[in-house]
Amino acid sequence: MSGLPSELLAAVSRDFPADFLSFDAADLVTYGRDWTQVLTPRPVAVAFPRSTDEVAALLRLCSAHDVAVVPSGGRTGLAGGAVATNGELVVSLTRMRRMDPVDVLGATVRVQAGAITEAVHQHTAPEGLTWPVDFASKGSSQVGGNIATNAGGVKVIRYGLTRQWVLGLTVVLASGEVLELNGALEKNNTGVDLRQLFIGSEGTLGIITEAVLKLTRVPEKLDVFLFAVPDLAAVLALFREARKGPFVIMAYEFFTEKCLARLRRHRNVKTPLSAPSDYYVLLEVERGAPDELEAWLTSLFERELVTDGTQAQHSAQAADLWTLREGISESLSATGLPHKNDVALPIPELTGFCAELEQFFEASYPGWEIALFGHIGDGNLHVNVMKPDDLSREDFLAKTHEADHAIFALVQKHHGSISAEHGIGLLKKDYLRYSRSPAELSIMRAIKRALDPRNLMNPGKILDP
Amino acid sequence: MKILVPLKRVADPDNANKVKIPAAGDKIETTGLEWKPNPFDEYALEAALRLTENGQTPKVRAGEVVVVTFGPKETEQTLRAALATGADRAIRIDTTDDKLDGDLVARALAALIEKEKPDVVVMGKQAVDGDSNQVGQILAELLDWPMATFAATIKEEAGALVVSREVDGGVATMRVKLPAIVTVDLRIVAPTSVYSTKTAATFKYNDGVRFAALPAIMAAKKKLLVEIKLADLAADQALKVEYKAFQAPPARKAGIKVKDVTELVTRLKNEAKVL
Ligand SMILES: Cc1cc2nc3c(=O)[nH]c(=O)nc-3n(C[C@H](O)[C@H](O)[C@H](O)COP(=O)(O)OP(=O)(O)OC[C@H]3O[C@@H](n4cnc5c(N)ncnc54)[C@H](O)[C@@H]3O)c2cc1C
Repeated sequence: MSGLPSELLAAVSRDFPADFLSFDAADLVTYGRDWTQVLTPRPVAVAFPRSTDEVAALLRLCSAHDVAVVPSGGRTGLAGGAVATNGELVVSLTRMRRMDPVDVLGATVRVQAGAITEAVHQHTAPEGLTWPVDFASKGSSQVGGNIATNAGGVKVIRYGLTRQWVLGLTVVLASGEVLELNGALEKNNTGVDLRQLFIGSEGTLGIITEAVLKLTRVPEKLDVFLFAVPDLAAVLALFREARKGPFVIMAYEFFTEKCLARLRRHRNVKTPLSAPSDYYVLLEVERGAPDELEAWLTSLFERELVTDGTQAQHSAQAADLWTLREGISESLSATGLPHKNDVALPIPELTGFCAELEQFFEASYPGWEIALFGHIGDGNLHVNVMKPDDLSREDFLAKTHEADHAIFALVQKHHGSISAEHGIGLLKKDYLRYSRSPAELSIMRAIKRALDPRNLMNPGKILDP
Repeated sequence: MKILVPLKRVADPDNANKVKIPAAGDKIETTGLEWKPNPFDEYALEAALRLTENGQTPKVRAGEVVVVTFGPKETEQTLRAALATGADRAIRIDTTDDKLDGDLVARALAALIEKEKPDVVVMGKQAVDGDSNQVGQILAELLDWPMATFAATIKEEAGALVVSREVDGGVATMRVKLPAIVTVDLRIVAPTSVYSTKTAATFKYNDGVRFAALPAIMAAKKKLLVEIKLADLAADQALKVEYKAFQAPPARKAGIKVKDVTELVTRLKNEAKVL
């Protein structure tokens, strides 16, 4: 039993290729959810379109028959944005991975939204160009998913968010109408920039089917450092020095020994420093003048801002160092059940926020394992509370759900965001008000109603209409 | 103990897709390739460092580790990295890869060893670019020194090394008197593979090769690195090995999807003929 209206099924079998829809049980589970493990996927079917025209034709049918859809990309999302819990039709962009030749003069490339992030990097690299959206899930995440989540990552401190690197979008609305937004224009000052509405909209306003990406040159030689520091205050003190350093910062990331311990439980990783340290900083810079760099490094040791450190001697070692940071997220999920929070603070607030956060942990989760890491250079902390072995999954989720109110109140007090880069999806929906005012929420609802009046586009995600 | 460690840089095997062969097929195009030390040579350096220290106090070196490479000026980067990791002194023999073969490298090393007089030469079992696996063995023959190849473990004794290698179904252990040549295999960087007489038998190393500490990286810039002309070590530079042609491996055929296990088994039997 498919659960889809029979007229829609008839139209699909008449107008689309035979492999367009899947009802296969394994497909329903695979494509019915993203990286989150806490919700049960229950889609009615999965559609695999190959072109914008097919998406448009499908959405016209869905709109005619009142079928809700969930846009699905690489399913690496961490907010439950691509989870279909409610009998929706999942629209997977997996087959839409065409990439046009790179426009070297304009430094752009047009791709279908299902193109894998890393495939775009490989596609543009021979021209000395790259799309600087980069994080651990790039081997699976898709351009459409990156845009729909306005993804961040490890290079935000250098390049900004995905939003900065999108020139044009092709979007299909719930009605099936196709919008061509901004083409390949760098400049286009002709009223409200509608393209921006869809960036970060988590599939609630329309399905992104193609994008013109803005590219930048591949950076020169990079230097990668790993530093040992005693505590979070030292992480921030070192960041102050790095800001003044004789180089361009590409990434400034931190993680704790607890994260590393999880990584080691999951896989074989290198031990670059001679002794463990509570906190680590990974710094990547675009190479400056060697002498000034050396003077900068020497002064860090002289002033005891770091207790130990190493510099990758070649690219394989650089990759080893990056694994220590980029492997964490995956290893936390592989070795336990993490409750993830992804908060952002204005940089000057970080010290105060973190001090209060620690007090909060001691009071709310005495003795629990907290794995703390993140893009600290962007004011972004990933706070992962690991499920204790002796607590049931349900009790754990209930407890963390409740405790989140306290964390987010703290975030609000320090003028931060409850979701720095992962989005709201289903998981953070209850807390949106900690970051958005009633006036903002009502404008967001009005936009949703204008573009998707029947609430068929990823219903229930971000906010209710 | 004084140890000589020959190092070679190779095209980064993780970037193997970038290795290109020009239409003439007469060489490997090296422009644009990323370089890294031959992994087995990194293991050799790690083994040499372990043999010249007490594992508990790795900043203090008992003896001397001298690293040597053959190559143009830019290969000094490989040597500097080795110095940063703990080697004491470096020698670059000025030449380029295309003017070398295993025999000439061994002859030049033999001449260098006459001057340097190390107690032991610890080197990689082979370089992962040419995969020749010859230099260590030729060198032992030229010097008439004992050799132990494919070392998986090394234990220092007074005036000798006890070296084990993995063989089919077990481990072969031998004792070589110094001076000697030892070539190492990948297990040599396991936590309990190498013990100097100073390191306690209960001590365990971190798995793998050590990273260079930042203060050491900076100090390495002041360590001695000398250049020697290849002609000063080998008057006769004729090569015995000549590369006739290079050919890229055939492109892999696209995979297929099978319906079920029965089809998989049938195809493995009839087409792949592996069952
Ligand atoms: C190990 C790991 C590390 C990560 N690190 C980071 C990080 O550093 N920074 C960061 O920002 N994120 C990170 N993420 C989260 C995630 O990878 C990003 O959010 C990514 O952009 C999601 O892309 P995706 O294609 O997997 O999207 P999906 O998970 O498939 O979908 C995400 C959302 O976008 C919508 N969507 C997907 N495709 C489309 C489309 N074509 N049109 C409209 N809506 C669409 C979905 O409905 C959903 O709401 C990480 C995830 C993992 C697993």
